[in-house]
Amino acid sequence: MQGVRPVVEVVRLGLVAYQEALRLQQVYKKRHESSPAHTLLLCQHPPVYTTGIRHKPYPAPLLDQLCLLGADVHRTNRGGLITFHGPGQLVCYPVLNLGSFKKSVRWYVCQLEKTIISVCSRFGVEASTSPHTGVWVDDNKICAVGIHCGRYITSHGLALNCNTDMSWFSHIVPCGIEGKGVTSLSAELQRDVSVEETIPHLLEAFRDQFNCQLTHAQTEEERTDLTGHGSQLVP
Amino acid sequence: MAACGLFRSLSSSVAAVLPLLARSAPLSPLRLACKPYVRRTVASCSRLSAALKFTDKHEWIRVEDGGIGTVGISNFAQEALGDVVYCGLPEVGTQLAQQDEFGALESVKAASELYSPLTGEVVEVNTLLADNPGLVNKSCYKDGWLMKMTIANPAEVDALMDEAAYERYIRSIED
Repeated sequence: MQGVRPVVEVVRLGLVAYQEALRLQQVYKKRHESSPAHTLLLCQHPPVYTTGIRHKPYPAPLLDQLCLLGADVHRTNRGGLITFHGPGQLVCYPVLNLGSFKKSVRWYVCQLEKTIISVCSRFGVEASTSPHTGVWVDDNKICAVGIHCGRYITSHGLALNCNTDMSWFSHIVPCGIEGKGVTSLSAELQRDVSVEETIPHLLEAFRDQFNCQLTHAQTEEERTDLTGHGSQLVP
Repeated sequence: MAACGLFRSLSSSVAAVLPLLARSAPLSPLRLACKPYVRRTVASCSRLSAALKFTDKHEWIRVEDGGIGTVGISNFAQEALGDVVYCGLPEVGTQLAQQDEFGALESVKAASELYSPLTGEVVEVNTLLADNPGLVNKSCYKDGWLMKMTIANPAEVDALMDEAAYERYIRSIED
């Protein structure tokens, strides 16, 4: 259908355990079985380290060490290497059917990167891409990207550091890239930039970059039906 | 996650295949299938390239002598993926039903699932891809093949798109 912008429903999950977010993504992926039902899940996670489909760089003993730090640890089926998620980081899981957009993961990842560059720009932070996927401010990564795609349905997504405690990253080589660092909107602007402050900018940038319409999950009942329990909103 | 078990190191897959080919025990159907393929590969490449069939998920299968199918992804698929940095392929011996997930390709931080074009058993995986995953981009119809499998149901092959039908399919997607 020419000229009709796809509708994407924004669902705010609040602070949610990584495992629970994985379960919810499966729920939202299943909704695509009958017809496109694009959603954009927004959340924060308690401290967790996650790895992608490449297991060899991360044997069990290494992951056990990370558990000792008090973080959760998960192997996943996404692309990308090891990363960290924690409070103060805006995590977005677009569960889209690329058939309504463009059937190319390369295009999709590029659009996610452009979305984040636009968000940073709205804050006055100059970000860019590099041969390493993700969004960078000079040699420091401000946003990690790692997705999964099956039958054109996407899951996993991106993680933008707003006021994340960056010390968690010191225990890993983020995304397997030696010699580079990490940063956040707060670190770049030298003031506190919260996830809540960032969300409206992210939604506008996503809407513009993907040329879609955004709707918002309306009722507690609706959220409860899908998630199995009421979601917690970060005030 | 459940799929982890599929992604063993490719070196162990090769170790499983080689003793099977070298044994001089009574011939099994599998060995009959393997031997003719090894002899004929180089000479008949150009003839076989005309026999590609395609799925709507942009995988191709080429039926070799002896009823083994070589599987890979199409040029459309490799372009849509970007530079492949890792190939997660199944173990030799894996039984697959048509459309079962059999692995994943990683590119630009995206893991994209692969779906079996046919029902059959994995008999070989392309070990060159472990050190050179970029072959999937550079030579998707030849050196970048992913796996070989038996063909349990030849009717499934007939139902796939031939090259001309696939070209039309691509054009319809791109519109």
